[in-house]
Amino acid sequence: MYRIRTMIKKFTQYVLLVFSLALCTSCFEILEEINLNENGSGSMLVTFNLSKSKNKLASIMLLDSVNGYKVPSKDDINLALKDAENHLKTIKGITNIKKTADYQNYIFTLSCDFDKVASLDAVFQDLIKQQNKKEKTNFNTSNFSYNSDTNNFQRLFSYDSNIKKSFYKLKGEDRKIFNDASYTSIYRFKNSVKSVSNTSAKVSPNKKAVLLKIDAMSLILGEKSVANTIQLSK
Amino acid sequence: MKKAILFTSFCLTAMFVSAQDLISKIPSNASAVVALKGKNFTELVTTTEFENSKLGNLFFKELTKKTDGKVTNLESLGVDVEQNFYYFLQNEEGSLTHTFLVPLKNKENIVALLPERTQERVEADGNISYFTDLYDAAVTMWNNETLIMVIYQEANTYDDYGYDDFYGYDDYTITEEAADAVEATEDDMDGVIEDVVEDAAEAVAVEEEIVVEKIEDDEEYIEETVIESTESEYDENGYYNEDYYNDDYYKKQEERRLEREAKQEERRKENLVTVLEKAKSILTGNYAQGSILSNKDYVSSIGSDKEEASFWINDFGSLYMEAMPAIFGSSGVNNPYAMFNFDRLYGGMSLTSKLNFEEDKASIKTIYKMNDEMAQYHKAMYNGKMNSNFFKYFNEDQIQGYFAVNASTEGTLKAYPQMIDAMFSGVEESNLQDIVPITTRFISLLLDEEAIARIIRGDMLFVMNGIEQKEVTYTTYEYDENYESTEVTKTKMETIPNFLFMVTSEEKEIFDRLMRIGAKEGVVTFENGFYQLNIPDVPFSLNMLFKGNTLLIGNSAKDLMAISNGSFNAKVSSKHKKLIAKNSGSIYINGKYITKSIPSDMVPEAYKEKLNYISNNVEDIEFKVGKMKGNVLEGEFILNTPKGKGHKNSLAYFINMIDALID
Repeated sequence: MYRIRTMIKKFTQYVLLVFSLALCTSCFEILEEINLNENGSGSMLVTFNLSKSKNKLASIMLLDSVNGYKVPSKDDINLALKDAENHLKTIKGITNIKKTADYQNYIFTLSCDFDKVASLDAVFQDLIKQQNKKEKTNFNTSNFSYNSDTNNFQRLFSYDSNIKKSFYKLKGEDRKIFNDASYTSIYRFKNSVKSVSNTSAKVSPNKKAVLLKIDAMSLILGEKSVANTIQLSK
Repeated sequence: MKKAILFTSFCLTAMFVSAQDLISKIPSNASAVVALKGKNFTELVTTTEFENSKLGNLFFKELTKKTDGKVTNLESLGVDVEQNFYYFLQNEEGSLTHTFLVPLKNKENIVALLPERTQERVEADGNISYFTDLYDAAVTMWNNETLIMVIYQEANTYDDYGYDDFYGYDDYTITEEAADAVEATEDDMDGVIEDVVEDAAEAVAVEEEIVVEKIEDDEEYIEETVIESTESEYDENGYYNEDYYNDDYYKKQEERRLEREAKQEERRKENLVTVLEKAKSILTGNYAQGSILSNKDYVSSIGSDKEEASFWINDFGSLYMEAMPAIFGSSGVNNPYAMFNFDRLYGGMSLTSKLNFEEDKASIKTIYKMNDEMAQYHKAMYNGKMNSNFFKYFNEDQIQGYFAVNASTEGTLKAYPQMIDAMFSGVEESNLQDIVPITTRFISLLLDEEAIARIIRGDMLFVMNGIEQKEVTYTTYEYDENYESTEVTKTKMETIPNFLFMVTSEEKEIFDRLMRIGAKEGVVTFENGFYQLNIPDVPFSLNMLFKGNTLLIGNSAKDLMAISNGSFNAKVSSKHKKLIAKNSGSIYINGKYITKSIPSDMVPEAYKEKLNYISNNVEDIEFKVGKMKGNVLEGEFILNTPKGKGHKNSLAYFINMIDALID
C-alpha cells in the first residue's frame, strides 16, 4: 500500500502546488562598501537589501514556516544583528559600530570604522575559521589585505566547491531565491587606481573607486569571483 | 395523500429489494447503516476499466504481494464487487453489535485467503461455515453468497470505582498490595545489607592495623555474613524469601482471581453463543420485525438508490445514551460529556450522508435532522437575509472564489444563550444548571441585540477577485560616475491577489466617526472617494468604503474607486445568486480560473505539463449549508467535473486525474 500512499501524496502535492507557487520567487542584493584612507584606516558598510521582495517577505513573516524552513521573527533578526554587532565590538581596531533594520523596506545595514585593513580582516577571520571547521570547507581565512608600502589593496576569495554542493542540496524551488540576487562591492580610495585584476570590475572615471557587481548564481557556481587585486598609485 | 405515501414507500422498497441485496439482512432496529453500492460503482467504472487503470494496477500489485500471489484481480478476490456492501450497528441493552456484510462471488477464493491456522478453525453447520474469536466475541460466517463478520461489544458494568464482578480491577488491589510487599521487603533487605556491610566495614576499620591475612579473613567473614544472611532471609535476587504468597490473604485473593477468570471465561463463552446465534440470524435475515427497509426513518432518509455510498445514523441522542455503558461504563464516571444535557442537544437527531458520483459532478450531501428545540435555535441563528447590494459589487468573470455567511446577528445573540442554558440544564455538577443561566442572562441584559445587529446584521460576503498586476515600489541603489551610491525608489509590477469583503451595516455614522479619528491621527487617508488604511507589516493597503447599507473593505483601489463612483462592472448569474443568497453559508472555488491565472514563468518546467492538465480538467468546487427547512439542515460539497474532456462520469474523472498525475 506504500506506493498507493505515495501516489496519493503526489497527487495532493500537485494540487497544493497550484496554490503555493506564488511564494516561490524572491530577490535580494548585498552591497559591500569600503572607503580606504591613505594610512590604511577607513570605514565599511554592508547592506543587505531585500526591498524588491518586501511584499512577499511581509506575507512570509506572518507565517511560522515556509517550505519547511522556519521563518525568522523580527526578534530573531534583531538578535542576529545584535550578535554581529557584539562580534565587531570584540575586534581590536574596530570602532563606530552601527546597525540599522528597516522592516518597511527590509533593508539591514551594519557599518564600522577600522584603524587598519588587518583589523577589518580580523572581523571575518574567526567566523571563516569556524565555518571551515564546522562544515569542512576550505575558504581562505584572510579576506582583505593592504600593503601601504606598495599601495596594493586585495580582496581575497577562494571558491570552494562546497558552495555548489550546498546549493544543489536545496530544493529546486528554494534555489530560485538566488536567481535575481546580486553582490556588489564598491571600494573607494584616496589615491588613483592604476589597475584591477578582476575583469568584471569597473574603475570609475575619476580613478578613485572600483565597482564589482556579480549575480549570485555566477558566484555560487564559481563562474565569477569577488577576488580582486587593486593597485593604487603612490 | 396517505395512499400516495404508501405507494411511494412501496416503490422505494421494491426498488431496494429488486436484486438479492444484502440490505434484507439488516434488521429494522439498526442504529447506523453504512452502504457501499458496488453495483452503482461498477456501472460508472467497470471492473476491467479499474483493473486497467494505473491506480488499479498499483492496487493489485500491492494486493498480490500481500497475499503471496493469491489475488491478482477482482475476480480472484472472491467478492462480488457488483453487489452492495454494508455495515450496520445494533444497540441492544447497552451492548453494541457491529456487522459487516460482504457479497460473495466465489467463497473458495476468499477462504483461500485465510491463514492456514484460521482455516483449521473453520467449522461447518449445514451450508454455512464460520470461525470464531472467543476473546473479541467475533464471528466470521459465510455461505455461498454472503460473508458476514459480527463483532459483539458487551456493555461495561463498572461501578463508580471501576470495579466489576467480571472484568473489574480487584486484581489491582492484589497487585498493589503485592507490590507494596515487594517494595517493603526490598527496603528491609536494603537496610539489612547496609547494616551488615557497615558493621563489617567498621570491623575492618578497627582491625586495619592487623596483618593482611587477618583482614582477608575478616572480608571473607563479611562476605560469608552477607551471603549467609541473604540465604537465610533473601533469595539470590535479593527478594524476601519468606513466602508471602502463601499466606491466607494472598490465597483468598488468588481464589477470587481464579473465580473471576472462570466467570470471565464463562461470560465470553456466553457472549460467543449470543454472537453466533446473532450471526446465523443475520445471515438468514428473516426478521420478525422486518428488515431496515421497514424502518420509515431509514427509507425516507436514504431515498433513492442512485448514490454510491451512504451513511445513516438514527436518533443520535438515544444511541449515545444507550451506547454509553459500552463506552464509558454504566456509571458514566469517565464520560467527558457527562456535564452536558446531551438529550436536549442531540436527542432526536439523525444524520444521513450520501456520496454521489454523477455524470458531471461528485457530491457528498449530509442531512442533519434535529429535535424541535435545537431546530428553533438554529432557525433563529440562520434566519439571515442576504444583502442584494452585494451583487452590485460582484463580477463572476473575475472571481477566484468566495465565502458567504447568511446568519442573523440578532437571532444568534438571542438564541445562543438559550442554547447554552439548554446544554447545561439539569446538570447538578458544580451547580451548572443554575450558574450557567445566571451568566447567560447577565450577558443578555448587557447586550442590546438589536443595536448590535444594526452594526453587523450577520450577512457577509468575502470575494477573492482574481490576481492583479500591481505597481509596487522598492529601494535600490544608483551610482554616480564616481561610484558614490544613492538610495533610490523604483517600481516594478507584482502579482497580488485581490479581495473584497462586504458586510451589511446600518451604522454609517460609527464608521464615519472612526474614519475621522483615523484621519486626524494620520493612519487613514481619504482619496478617490474611499478611505485607505496602511497597516504595518501587511503587504497591501486596506481600502474602505461605506455605500448604502454596505461596508466594503478591499485591497484593490481600482475596484473601490469604481464602486465609489458607480462604475463597477458587476455580473452575477442566477447560479451564484442562489448559492450565496439561498443558503446559510457557502464556499465557492473557481478551480479553472485559479490554475489559469498562475503566471507561466512562475511554474517550474517539470510541473508545467501536469499543471496544464489540471488547468484543462478542473472545474469549480462548491460547499453549501442550506437554510433550516422544518427541523432539517442540509449541507452539500460538490466537485463539478468538466464536460467534453473524455471523462465519462465523475468517478472516471478521479481515476483519470490520478492516472494523469502520477508518474
